[in-house]
Amino acid sequence: MIARLTRHPAVVPIGAVVLAILIGAVIILLAGLNPIDAYAAVLQGSLDPRNLDYTFAVWGFICGMGLVAAIPLRMGEFNLGGNGQLVLGGITAYVVASQLGLPGIVAVPLALIAAMIVSGGFAAVSAPLATRFGIPIIISTLLLSPVAVAVASYLVRFPLAEKGSGNAQTPVLPEDAHIWSLGDLRYTSVGLLLIIAVMVIFYVVDSRSAVGFELRVTGANRRFGEYAGLKPGRLALGAMGSAGAVAGLVGAIIVLSSPYRFIDGALISPGYTFAGLAAALLAGGRPALVPVTAILFTILQVGGASMERTAEVPRQLSDVLQGVVIVILALRVVLDARRAGAGKDS
Amino acid sequence: MSTAAVELRGISKRFDAVVANDGIDLVLARGTVHAVMGENGAGKSTLMSILFGLVRPDSGEIIVEGEARSFSSPLDAIAAGLGMVHQHFRLFDSMTVAENVVFGAEPTRGGRIDRAAAAARVLDLAERYGLDTDPQARVGDLSAGARQRVEILKALHRDARILILDEPTAVLTPSEVTSLFTVVRRAAEAGTTVVLVTHKIQEVLDVSSEVTVLRDGRVSGRFVTAETTSAELVRAMTGREVEIVANPGTGSLGDTVLEVEGVSVAEARVERVSNVSLSVRRGEIVGIAGVSGNGQHDLVAAILGTTAVSAGRIRLGGDDVTGAPVAARRAAGLAVIPEDRRGEGSAVTMSITENLSLGHHRQPPIGRPNGFGRGWMSLAGARRRASEQISSYDIRTSGEKQPVGSLSGGNAQKVVIARELSFEAPLLIAEQPTQGVDVGAIEAIHGRLLDYRASGRGILLVSHEISELLALADRVLVMFAGEIVAEFDRTQASAERIGAAMAGAAAAAGEEWTA
Ligand SMILES: Nc1ncnc2c1ncn2[C@@H]1O[C@H](COP(=O)(O)OP(=O)(O)OP(=O)(O)O)[C@@H](O)[C@H]1O
Ligand SMILES: [Mg+2]
Repeated sequence: MIARLTRHPAVVPIGAVVLAILIGAVIILLAGLNPIDAYAAVLQGSLDPRNLDYTFAVWGFICGMGLVAAIPLRMGEFNLGGNGQLVLGGITAYVVASQLGLPGIVAVPLALIAAMIVSGGFAAVSAPLATRFGIPIIISTLLLSPVAVAVASYLVRFPLAEKGSGNAQTPVLPEDAHIWSLGDLRYTSVGLLLIIAVMVIFYVVDSRSAVGFELRVTGANRRFGEYAGLKPGRLALGAMGSAGAVAGLVGAIIVLSSPYRFIDGALISPGYTFAGLAAALLAGGRPALVPVTAILFTILQVGGASMERTAEVPRQLSDVLQGVVIVILALRVVLDARRAGAGKDS
Repeated sequence: MSTAAVELRGISKRFDAVVANDGIDLVLARGTVHAVMGENGAGKSTLMSILFGLVRPDSGEIIVEGEARSFSSPLDAIAAGLGMVHQHFRLFDSMTVAENVVFGAEPTRGGRIDRAAAAARVLDLAERYGLDTDPQARVGDLSAGARQRVEILKALHRDARILILDEPTAVLTPSEVTSLFTVVRRAAEAGTTVVLVTHKIQEVLDVSSEVTVLRDGRVSGRFVTAETTSAELVRAMTGREVEIVANPGTGSLGDTVLEVEGVSVAEARVERVSNVSLSVRRGEIVGIAGVSGNGQHDLVAAILGTTAVSAGRIRLGGDDVTGAPVAARRAAGLAVIPEDRRGEGSAVTMSITENLSLGHHRQPPIGRPNGFGRGWMSLAGARRRASEQISSYDIRTSGEKQPVGSLSGGNAQKVVIARELSFEAPLLIAEQPTQGVDVGAIEAIHGRLLDYRASGRGILLVSHEISELLALADRVLVMFAGEIVAEFDRTQASAERIGAAMAGAAAAAGEEWTA
């Protein structure tokens, strides 16, 4: 019975979270502070009704970036280029929304779509790199990402820079090109609804469509897929293209939301990409679980700031906890691969 | 002190709804070979896994050499003197034969693995037991038969006093089986106790001294081999007589569905297949015999398109598909039952339904080929189709959602067969189609293959079982060292002649030789 319980697929992910929380507690104790106060501050800060607007917005971004990792993970590929894809989407959306002088009803959708196309195309490059040149997707995404970040950084510092400002940022977008808000909420906007819609689409495609099935087969056993005539190269192109498009969408939503401009580093520094990756890994890529595991990282992310304020624990602790979860889950992947010869058949 | 090496008392194990073992008693006398038989899913592997500490019984006692034991892992079992060769391979593909054999019990020198000593040890064991192997070869490059030898060497290396062999012969050729049994007999004479799980009655009669038969998780018969007959064993296993399917003989031949012309396959500059030509016509079963590793599998991979040819042409139903991708070949009319069920023929973590659906998932009743629903699957359709196949192929399972990896070996094989036969492709390639399936199911599958031929389709049958080739094939080609060295038609074929040609005695088969 116990043996059966310990083999349940949820054991490792939940164990990883519990272990991370314990390790965090030890670190806080070593620093001479009170872990219970710190964790209480995390929960209070993130779940405080006055903060919920912000918390929801962050949850949406982490869910979005969770999909960016989860979609390729379905076929066993790791997309570590979320940052580049996110930033490229953000800068594209800014350019379309600000430079074309279109009315808002056209500018906003157009900016979102353009961001998705550009980021999707950028991410999709990794697929032919893998099929034609044998560069693993995990490597090419990791290496291409800083290139995109640097290009965006250049654009915002020079051609698109706000004149007379010391900061590396663009001017504020015209009012017309702000993303539509939901009532008088400040952070949560129509963007959150779009991300939820994308999650629903991913769920349905994953479980009901032929392509979703083919992705899962490839992820479960690539040789089986190839033997059956699936084309991993084409599937990777689709998966990476869609993952990039989602990252572009998230980047565009962030730029079109308050403070309505592209600020260098502002898309990357909150760590949505990393939190999304952790959420996707924790969910094992399963579409229905990503929004659930994203809650955990949202709480850490949002609560981290108030933990710093009230319990004097630096917010970097949130990153440490995320890191611990990722390391444990990655270890599992490695161990599973090692044990692959030792499955059950018979 | 009793003479029993192992005594199992009242072993029970249930997996959710399935009772895999139900109060099984088994006594293994020291220094004997004890056969365990039973239909697919009868609980043989579960019982062996319990004895080896891989699975915990819900109840029951394990007594090894007079001492009650409770193994919490195979390491405990190994320490108690047990060794097991599993039904499917548990080897590291990226490591060499020597590394695999000594893994977990490495000879060391100054704290590091002593590779030379490991290789010497492997060669020594291999020679002593007559198991031909190359210690430096990478396991991933080996044929199934060669991997099986590595598994056996692994158990021998650890000096197991009690050796569990779970279907060790499922993928071996007759000569390999003979040499394995020489090993088994030698080990038993030296005092090792051997448990042999197998579906092959002849093997049981040849090598064992006692037989225990399981049915639905219980012991349904115990026999002293010398006093029993194969009919009696079959009845204990199945509860009925199994009819041997008679081959009605060649019908009328139709168009050519497969034409292989001067095909060579080279891998890392080694020629695996050299200049092979053959053809299969509608209404014909063409057999390929050969000791595993003589290029049969590379030839199949070249026809399927998972390996590139270095020379020659391949035509399926008239279309030249030499450079075409797998999908185009399957669309041109090809289905394949592969030799490597777990590595290539299934996704063990996915359900029976999903495994049965792959390749059919864009056609009705699962997919909608055109119109509004194009690209979408009907999960209800997939489930319905799966449960039909589960009952028509007699797949023993707790439900169509069960992952294929937790099915018994023979039942997992039936999943692969059901999926590939249901393509109804003009050409079927069947590699070891009956590996691991029980006597009754073998006859059922043979019957289906003969029906397949009778329906005007062609089959290329690759098998190590000469009896299978003789029962089904209209012509038998023999491969040796990548070449076709002999061809026999139905009337000329005999076990002796095929066996001699497989051993490389092309000259002896000179009269039958056709290029
Ligand atoms: N891990 C598991 N989870 C669920 N069911 C299992 C598991 N292992 C075995 N079973 C079930 O237990 C039954 C007995 O399986 P077992 O592998 O012992 O059969 P077997 O006699 O070795 O058959 P075969 O000849 O096909 O190898 C089967 O119905 C199988 O589906
Ligand atoms: Mg078995």
